[in-house]
Amino acid sequence: MSTLTKILIVLLTLSSIFLCGIVVTYVANADNYRQKYDNLKDERDSLDKKVQDYTKQVNEALEQKKQVENKLSSEITSLKAEKGELQTNFDNAEREKAALLQKVNSWTSITKDFYQTTDKQGQLLKNTLEELNKVQTEQISQRKELNETTAALVEKMAIIETLQAENKRIQEEKTELQNRLDKFLQPIGKTAAAAVPVTPREEAARPATTEARDIALQGLVTAVDLKNSMATISIGTADGVKEGMRFHVTRGNEFLCDILIIDADTKEAVGALELVQQQPNVGDTVSTNL
Amino acid sequence: MSPDGQSRGGKATTSNNLYTIILALAFCAVLATAALVAYKCYFQYGTILKIP
Repeated sequence: MSTLTKILIVLLTLSSIFLCGIVVTYVANADNYRQKYDNLKDERDSLDKKVQDYTKQVNEALEQKKQVENKLSSEITSLKAEKGELQTNFDNAEREKAALLQKVNSWTSITKDFYQTTDKQGQLLKNTLEELNKVQTEQISQRKELNETTAALVEKMAIIETLQAENKRIQEEKTELQNRLDKFLQPIGKTAAAAVPVTPREEAARPATTEARDIALQGLVTAVDLKNSMATISIGTADGVKEGMRFHVTRGNEFLCDILIIDADTKEAVGALELVQQQPNVGDTVSTNL
Repeated sequence: MSPDGQSRGGKATTSNNLYTIILALAFCAVLATAALVAYKCYFQYGTILKIP
């Protein structure tokens, strides 16, 4: 065998061993692509299944969403209608509130006026009570004077009776003296002249003549209550109206009825209708004299 | 494979059997490598020569 052949054999052997080593190393470290493929395929299948499930869930969710949308749309429509109704109610309530506020304001002013009127009437009542107290005081003093006057009158009546008895006695003495004088003068043919008193006779007291005068009050009928036969007139105690006064109601030259005053206030008076010829109306004239 | 070389050169030389053994080793290595590759191909892809 030649040397070259030997060298070639050795080189061939070394190169084959080297190549075999490389191949073995490569094969030993090579990846198992089939297993990877199977794993990827399984993973893809599972992912496909998940995608299908998710697609189904998405479709169901879309369906539910549509149903919820329809339901919400109907609810929105009903709520809009309800909102319109509530808005209308709110507007009505606002209007009622404004009217009630106006009423409250009017009632407040009325109450304020009422309080003022009450205060005035309270003041009037106070003044009237003071006047009443004064009148009662005057009445007490007048009663005292009356009692004193009555006592003086009784005393004077007793004096008058005494004087009358004395006068009677003097008259009787005068008559007796006249008779005695006549007895003395008749035999000589004379008679006694009538005695002239030194003190002139006083005339008896006479009552003073009273002259009637018209009251001449005039006013208008302000209210008529035909149900109770009552009427109110526009003049009161400030004008001189008193309870028990009788007013004649006229319209033009026509007599309608009489009003007998049963209650008089400061600026108005209330009375009962009497002698009704025609029904009186507001604005008819009332007067004390026709 | 003959003992001619030893007698002709006069110095010590390797016998031809040694080269035969070396070639056998190389062949065995190649064969084992081929078997390993075939084994791997069969158990990983299910075939030896075809592309799966």
